[in-house]
Amino acid sequence: MTTAIVTGASRGIGRAAAIEMSNNPEVDNIVLIARDEVKLSETIGLLNPRVRARAIVYDFSSQEGIPSMVKEIYDEFGSIDWLLNIAGYTDPKSLLDTTLDSMEITYKINVFSLVEMTKECVKYMKQNEQSKILNVASTAGMTPRPGWLSYASSKSAVISISETLAQELSEYNILVYCISPGRAATDLRKKLAPEEDPTTIMQPAHVAKVIGNLMRMSEHCLDGQNMVVRKQVK
Amino acid sequence: MISLVLLSSGSGSRMENSVPKQYLSLGGKPIIIHTLERLAKVKEISEVVICCTEEYMEHIARLIKNHCPQLNYKLVKGGKTRQESTWNGIQVCENGSVMIHEAARPFVKINEFERLALEESENAIYGVEIPFTVLKGNGQIDETLDREELVNVQLPQKFNRDKLLDAFEQAHANNKKFTEDASLFFEYYPNDAVKILEGTVHNMKITYPIDLVIGETIYREYVLGSETN
Repeated sequence: MTTAIVTGASRGIGRAAAIEMSNNPEVDNIVLIARDEVKLSETIGLLNPRVRARAIVYDFSSQEGIPSMVKEIYDEFGSIDWLLNIAGYTDPKSLLDTTLDSMEITYKINVFSLVEMTKECVKYMKQNEQSKILNVASTAGMTPRPGWLSYASSKSAVISISETLAQELSEYNILVYCISPGRAATDLRKKLAPEEDPTTIMQPAHVAKVIGNLMRMSEHCLDGQNMVVRKQVK
Repeated sequence: MISLVLLSSGSGSRMENSVPKQYLSLGGKPIIIHTLERLAKVKEISEVVICCTEEYMEHIARLIKNHCPQLNYKLVKGGKTRQESTWNGIQVCENGSVMIHEAARPFVKINEFERLALEESENAIYGVEIPFTVLKGNGQIDETLDREELVNVQLPQKFNRDKLLDAFEQAHANNKKFTEDASLFFEYYPNDAVKILEGTVHNMKITYPIDLVIGETIYREYVLGSETN
């Protein structure tokens, strides 16, 4: 029995990845986490009905409820095998308009919650023969633009965290993957580049396909590396 | 089932560090955790008795909660000497068979605990050959020793708990000091066979600062590089 947790599953790459996971015959249970209850229910409706799915409404701007939420998932499904940390947030502002409060929210969602989710899941994953964690960073974490201070630096942190944990968790056969999507047609991208025509750039389903392939393979050569996912624009 | 006494009350004075070596970091986590995480997966061991100083009891409990909460363990106050600490630990063991290990040997593998547990002989230790020459002397050579007849004694070790306890009581009554437990056991039970299982040179004891440097390499190449941890 394989249980996969997908955060940020109410829209964008998270939703597309959840659908992709539901089509993977290795996956038996999917737990979707996001703060938007209505959109989360819509995602559930888009999943392949062969999987047992559960939606949890949770706002990652706070971390206090994460340990009990993960324990509940473990108690219900009996194992936690895959964790897909996809939830993301951005509020692009120039340095002089950036407040520490707005930066803190970005870091809480993009970094602290990712760490806390990973930490709590690893407690259970250590009992498995093999487990997988996939973190979605961003090319912004490597090639930032003016005005992306909080978001770009938080995604740099996700890349670094992934590289650290791939080494630290290898003793327990927990593979940690990190992908950095380039421009993808998501609500988050609209905030970063509102002028862009979303039909001309990479779609969430393209990224989800890459995630699906990574999670399906049990290879040991791509973990711990930041992998850029880009589709050439025609 | 077997009880395991884990010695963790050393001060690590040879490490030239105010923190005892078993709590220093190796491979990104405290040295003692390497062993405890593996012990939590050995089905034959039903309880782990950790001998430590009172000062570190809370610290160990917190580490176990974070890294291996499923471990069944007890904390026992260590003594002034290694011998006293082991004795304190054995006294609270619930099983008739007891293993001894030390927290400063973090590269012992799960299958080494299992092999020792399943060994038919009720008393057994790990040992490796000595690849260098050892002489008897103090300032000058008193006697040559044949290294073919010598064994580098390692841990973990396994004993009949009641007999080991009795041996410790006799050693205490006679005020005799030993640096490890197989020697002590053999002194009072010379007719009880203690089997020597072939150990591995990787199962080294972290003692000097240089051992941490060597240990990082062993962790990376030997522990992470193998299928069975």
